[in-house]
Amino acid sequence: MVSATKQGPDPASSEGERRTGVPAQATPGEAAASEQHAVAQPDQEPQHHQTAQHHQAPEHTDAISPGFRKFAFRVRIWQRRAVIVSLRVARLVKTGILRFLPALRYVGRALQKRWRRSLQFRTVLTTLLLAVTSFAVVGAYLSNQIANNLFQERLTQAESETRYNVKQVQETFDGAQVTDQSSVITLVYDTLNAVEGRGSVIQRRYVFEAMPEQTKPRNRWVESRASDQLTVSVIPPELRKAVQESGKDQYWASTVIPVGTEDRPGIAVGNKVTFNGTVYELYLIYDLNTAQQTLDEIQSVLWAGGAVLVLLIGAVAWYVTRNVVSPVSHAAMVSEKLAAGQLQERMVVRGEDEVARLGASFNHMAASLQEQITQLATLSQMQQRFVSDVSHELRTPLTTVRMAAEVLYDARDDFDPINKRSAELLYNQVERFQSLLSDLLEISRFDAGVAVLDAEPEDILQVIAHVIEGASPVAAEYGSEIVLSAPAGAIVVDMDARRIDRILRNLILNAVEHGEGRPVTVTVAASESAVGIAVRDHGIGMEPAEAARVFDRFWRADPARARTTGGSGLGLSIAAEDTKLHNGWLQAWGRKGSGANFRLTLPLRQGEEIGNSPVQLEPEDNITTGEPGSVPREPDTRNILVLETGAARLAPVPTTKENP
Amino acid sequence: MKARILVVDDDEALAEMIGIVLRNDGFEPVFCADGAQALDIFRSSRPDLVLLDLMLPGVDGIEVCRQVRAESDVPIVMLTAKADTSDVVRGLESGADDYVPKPFKPAELVARVRARLRPGDQKAPETLRIADITIDVAGHTVSRGSERISLTPLEFDLLVALARKPWQVFTRELLLEQVWGYRHAADTRLVNVHVQRLRSKIEQDPEAPEVVLTVRGVGYKAGA
Repeated sequence: MVSATKQGPDPASSEGERRTGVPAQATPGEAAASEQHAVAQPDQEPQHHQTAQHHQAPEHTDAISPGFRKFAFRVRIWQRRAVIVSLRVARLVKTGILRFLPALRYVGRALQKRWRRSLQFRTVLTTLLLAVTSFAVVGAYLSNQIANNLFQERLTQAESETRYNVKQVQETFDGAQVTDQSSVITLVYDTLNAVEGRGSVIQRRYVFEAMPEQTKPRNRWVESRASDQLTVSVIPPELRKAVQESGKDQYWASTVIPVGTEDRPGIAVGNKVTFNGTVYELYLIYDLNTAQQTLDEIQSVLWAGGAVLVLLIGAVAWYVTRNVVSPVSHAAMVSEKLAAGQLQERMVVRGEDEVARLGASFNHMAASLQEQITQLATLSQMQQRFVSDVSHELRTPLTTVRMAAEVLYDARDDFDPINKRSAELLYNQVERFQSLLSDLLEISRFDAGVAVLDAEPEDILQVIAHVIEGASPVAAEYGSEIVLSAPAGAIVVDMDARRIDRILRNLILNAVEHGEGRPVTVTVAASESAVGIAVRDHGIGMEPAEAARVFDRFWRADPARARTTGGSGLGLSIAAEDTKLHNGWLQAWGRKGSGANFRLTLPLRQGEEIGNSPVQLEPEDNITTGEPGSVPREPDTRNILVLETGAARLAPVPTTKENP
Repeated sequence: MKARILVVDDDEALAEMIGIVLRNDGFEPVFCADGAQALDIFRSSRPDLVLLDLMLPGVDGIEVCRQVRAESDVPIVMLTAKADTSDVVRGLESGADDYVPKPFKPAELVARVRARLRPGDQKAPETLRIADITIDVAGHTVSRGSERISLTPLEFDLLVALARKPWQVFTRELLLEQVWGYRHAADTRLVNVHVQRLRSKIEQDPEAPEVVLTVRGVGYKAGA
């Protein structure tokens, strides 16, 4: 903290030496600042002052002890107060943290979330942190530089003043013609007082001390003398040593001087003067208070300016990122709206910059998207309209033809054989034409996406019984019987009864048709979430590969096979579509020679998952039965195709035995 | 006496064919090819039943239905080419009692016509009550307190069917059979629409019915 540098008598020649010597070792600004710090908070660094007091010479202890005692007492009070205050603060902080911990956590989480989610927040915060850091570095450097310069200036001034004053004092002493004690004392005091400055303003203080360890001349009446409040203890020992050991050189050191009640930073510059054969050390002490005040002001201006600048930079960063980010978040918002189906939503485009280009191309994309979707919607509407129109246009004449055909058919017994057969053919084919037409229209309604589920909770067992009742005459024609295996009571399912009726009629009539006169079994079972209906025939059956294709439009198991029943070939496709509408499964299983099994699984309540079907797709009778003597095949892992809600997927089904 | 049936259809061939079938079964058909004239012809011919095509030039079939229903309780059976639910429901809501989807069989058409023309067989004095509703079966009137409620014959039949057996839950199929007279009726939507229409007339609050109650998953029954 304190440094002493040797310095030549000529200020001009010693310039370079001083420059190199001072800033390297001493940081006077810091010294001043830390001294001030020590004054402001003496309770924290009482040790410092006590060590400072140790330097004083024993003979001067009495002179300063009252002040010191007062000071030490104050320090002790401050210490006690500080302990009390810090305890209170600690308690407050503790309870505060406990009380506000949830709130703090919430705030922390909110900030974290904001950090994660907001680019703007992140950018502004980062910018602020960087700005604060760089301002701290630059500010520290600047204030350091300024402090150095201020100190240097004051030091140069102090040194030249000292040189001049020492010279004056020496000249006065040299030219003195006094011999008696009182006139010597008066002369010395007057000379030294003159050094303090003219008028009421004290420009500098002094410490005047006879060098120790020298032979005491007879007429040595002045031992030591100092300005008000000062003692030799304010002179750093290093400086004293340097002055004592040198010849006629001038030295300086920074020090702390008491002025009034406060301690101030100062510079002590020392040299020797001789009076009446006695060598004295003369130290002139300059108050650095004004420099310190200037420095404080500059520093406070620096910090305030830095703070304002940081805030400004934050605001600028906020504004800039907002300018860049807001179009992006606007774009995100608009695209979300677009995705939600608000196709007319567009971005606001201003100017010609990159953001405007983004907006323009975004709008372009949205426009073409909207155009295409509108086009698709129009197409779908046209399709729907077309289907509806065709339906009407075809049905009216078909109705007439059909009625006419029926009238002719009813009267066929009155006709000759040729006309009779013609009437029969006409009647049958019109019927077939009608079913084909209605199936086609139904399929095209599915394709147009206009088929809607008109679901109501109804007892599916009633529908099944109704369908079986309706199919019985056909079954009787084929010589087969329909066996229903269902639980008692009712199974209430959210369903469109018309569609379920159509699916089941299709499955049962199909089974009767392909059952070769063998019984057709309808198995119904329900779980908590689903109902399963399996329609099993024991007819010619089909290959698994064929089972995969039964739901294809116009697909027939055997193209060469006579179209005896005159089905449209769309029945199972429509059934699959109807099932899909119910969010159900329609699956087919088949084996050549052991018949086929169709399973319909429906959720009991719409919007709920099926989970597992309550009935098996691969019939148990197929698994367990086997002709006696037949060689059980190796379990194979042939795939059977399973159609679930319209989408085909392959499911490996382990087979155990199979009928040959 | 032959029942007179007004056939409103713009397709001449179909109208003629329907005429042939109806005449064959002992009805007397009257024709109208234009929706705009339908009401005039209805007034002049005073038919016992109207067969009405939904798609007509001039005034649309739904509108004709509404006009006829506004001044008469004569049964109306719609002929519809559109099997879309919305069209059927719209037709039924505008006042039609029944509908026959094209293409239909002659027997089907005749059966439906007959079912609608079925005279109210029991004419014995009989008074039924459901909730706070009083039904005079012979007088064909329904009232809540002193307030008369006007119902179409079909709605009246529906209400009477429910009121006669207040302990029974009627499935839609059963109602179709008893009220509409079909053995294998296709469409239970008929029942739904007419129950809703009936409720809108006789219930204090159609959202919370007290006279005609829904039994979830089964059908309908009379209120206590």
